[in-house]
Amino acid sequence: MLSCSCTGPGMAPAVSCYFLVVLLSASCEVVTSSDQMCIEKKTNKIYNCENLDLSEVPDTLPNTTEFLEFSFNSLPTIQNTTFRRLINLIFLDLTRCQINWIHENAFQSHPQLSTLVLTGNPLIFVAETALSGPESLKHLFLTQTGLFSLEFIPAHNLKNLESLYLGGNYISSMKFPKDFPTRNLKVLDFQNNAIHYLSREDMDSLRATTNLSLNFNGNDIKGIEPGAFKSMVFQSLKFGGTVNLSVIFSGLHNSTIQSLWLGTFEDTEDQDLSSSMLEGLCEMSVESMNLQKHHFSDLSSATFQCFTHLQELDLTATHLQKLPSGLKDMHSLKKLVLNVNKFNQLCQINADSFPSLTHLYLKGNVIKLQLGAGCLEKLENLQTLDLSHNDIEASDCCNLQLKNLSHLQSLNLSYNEPLGLRNEAFKACPRLELLDLAFTHLHVNAPQGPFQNLHLLQVLNLSHCFLDTSNQHLLAGLENLRHLNLQGNHFQDGNIPKTNLFQMVGSLEILVLSSCDLFSIDREAFHGLGNIVHVDLSHNNLTSDSINALSQFKGTYLNLATNSIRIIPPHLLPTLSQQNIINLSHNPLDCTCSNVHFLTWYKENVQKLEDFKETRCAYPPSLQGVQLSDVTLSCGITAVSIFFLTVFLFLLAALLLYTVKFFLRWKYQHL
Amino acid sequence: MTRFTTTLLVWTLISPGSGGPAADTAWPTHTACRNEGLEVLYQSCDPLQDFGFSVDQCSKQLKPNLRIRLGIILREDIKELYLDISLISKGASVLNYSYPICEVDLPKFSFCGRKKGEQVYYAGPVNNPGFDIFKGEYQILLELYNEKRATVACANVTVICS
Repeated sequence: MLSCSCTGPGMAPAVSCYFLVVLLSASCEVVTSSDQMCIEKKTNKIYNCENLDLSEVPDTLPNTTEFLEFSFNSLPTIQNTTFRRLINLIFLDLTRCQINWIHENAFQSHPQLSTLVLTGNPLIFVAETALSGPESLKHLFLTQTGLFSLEFIPAHNLKNLESLYLGGNYISSMKFPKDFPTRNLKVLDFQNNAIHYLSREDMDSLRATTNLSLNFNGNDIKGIEPGAFKSMVFQSLKFGGTVNLSVIFSGLHNSTIQSLWLGTFEDTEDQDLSSSMLEGLCEMSVESMNLQKHHFSDLSSATFQCFTHLQELDLTATHLQKLPSGLKDMHSLKKLVLNVNKFNQLCQINADSFPSLTHLYLKGNVIKLQLGAGCLEKLENLQTLDLSHNDIEASDCCNLQLKNLSHLQSLNLSYNEPLGLRNEAFKACPRLELLDLAFTHLHVNAPQGPFQNLHLLQVLNLSHCFLDTSNQHLLAGLENLRHLNLQGNHFQDGNIPKTNLFQMVGSLEILVLSSCDLFSIDREAFHGLGNIVHVDLSHNNLTSDSINALSQFKGTYLNLATNSIRIIPPHLLPTLSQQNIINLSHNPLDCTCSNVHFLTWYKENVQKLEDFKETRCAYPPSLQGVQLSDVTLSCGITAVSIFFLTVFLFLLAALLLYTVKFFLRWKYQHL
Repeated sequence: MTRFTTTLLVWTLISPGSGGPAADTAWPTHTACRNEGLEVLYQSCDPLQDFGFSVDQCSKQLKPNLRIRLGIILREDIKELYLDISLISKGASVLNYSYPICEVDLPKFSFCGRKKGEQVYYAGPVNNPGFDIFKGEYQILLELYNEKRATVACANVTVICS
């Protein structure tokens, strides 16, 4: 504990100054808690003991611990005594603990253990009964543990296993031992092993599973026995980085796969994809397919002849300059991803081929993309369109460009070059619910209202758009807008005046005005915003005067972090009290008696405060950097002080009386 | 409490370094490459660990698509991985750049998606543009981090071009 003196409020006349200081002998306290070794994330339940070089479970951990992150410690041997005390363990992460041995009955006393992470341990031997004990062990991570064979894993007590991670080992055959219970498996991960061949027998051990996700990324599969996957059903299959895709396609004959990932990588050698290699797709049922980073050797309508039943196709970074025109039978395609390609103009995707498309993603185009006119007009069912990060530039956007997209609900035009918007700029897509224009410079001439007629729009992101915020019609017509982000835009003189653009959006629930260089907000600026539940005013230069503008908000999340708030006078405290959660971190808060009302309020409401560890004093210098919650000021007058004050006043009165008496006597004597 | 104890307590609380972790262990400075009047030195600024890094060709006319070798233990999952580069020359910041290496919808490299605790050895291209390096000494801060902004690797690089 620490006590120190504190300056009194106001300037006292010199004579009584010393006296007052004695009287108002305020004290403040700092309580520091001793550093614990493990970090407590949730009392008695969740602990993090990572990177502590521990060789045993510390005594400070309570017996009730349920989640224990114990990675990067040192436990060469695990036996039944190692974790015996923590009988309630549900999750145990032992990543890179240099474990060599897991002895018999190591987890015998942990009936609730559901997840065991052993990633990166140089396992020499795991005893037959090492994993017995848990009544329902569901997730087992054996990534990079030096496994050569699946026989190494003690199969005893794995009947409830749902996910098994075996990546980064030396496994060359995925054949499970006979008694290995695979029935409940949902996730089976063989990434980065040495599996080159999949036989019928290998796959037979997985026939009992349903909706399995199987990951063979980073195994160069060179052969699959015909019929190995016959009539099997998978949630997802991944063969990422496989050089010869025709092996995969012919091997998967007669299988049903919801999601097939066949992409490649920057560092993987690649073979050009030809139409003939993709023919195998006709003999299987795939809903969604990813071919990222491949090269097509002879892109034509023949390339897509077996894509007829596909619903989702991802061609991210496949070096495309155009898609062939006149593709037939792509009527089922609902979602198309063409990110990071080399289209010159939007019309080059030949959108007419995909009349059922509901989702189109074309972001991060390598070269500047021209939107053209009406390039997507045949996509009548389109609901989601992402055209972000494309260097798109248009002086008059977006009715011609988005012609006929009357069902569009979500449009992303963020991170583009300047766009000029006029009145009713999005008339072509009246059903928009979400519009993202973040970091795209917008030219809007006042008093035009580009968002008029977007009656269904709920979310509008205009962060860093360099808007003219004095245009009061900017947000006209957005009667259902719930979420508005204006981060990084500037207001004239750093002030939000009484009449402003928010008067048009009375249904607003979430308002973000962070990093807007605000110095003040008029006390009536937010009148009419009755539904607000979340206000972010962080990273501005606001002082406590601006809290007046928030007096009508109730039960909101209020972020005032990183502003210039120093003293919050008592009359503003009710406004804070009526909010739900408040963030006042990183403000130059005053911890002297001049702010005592707020400091008292803070202590009583600490459960409302977010980020309270970063809410610190800036004044006086002696308390700089101390958390507000650790400061106790007593600025009141104590009983002893009252006694002394009374005596002082009494003496003063006596002195005065005596002086008067003396003066009068002196005066009469000289009459 | 006496004035002495008070002073002592205040001092322990605010004096730099005394309350925090023990004096930082500085990792040794390694040479990533040295050739033709170009020298690239680096030092890990992750307090938890060092890592190994080398560049195959080292020349003042930096070639595009350089091959590098990198060996590191992951202390975080890297389903998402980002690289921040800040270049400082003569004490002034010249360039700040952020580049996504692994994203959920675009895992560019085969190591994307590896898990905490895995050891990664990467030998391959880095997809950089080619450019000439002018004479001088440059400081580069490289930071690899994931979606939680948790550090995966951190390096203070010194490039000396003579």
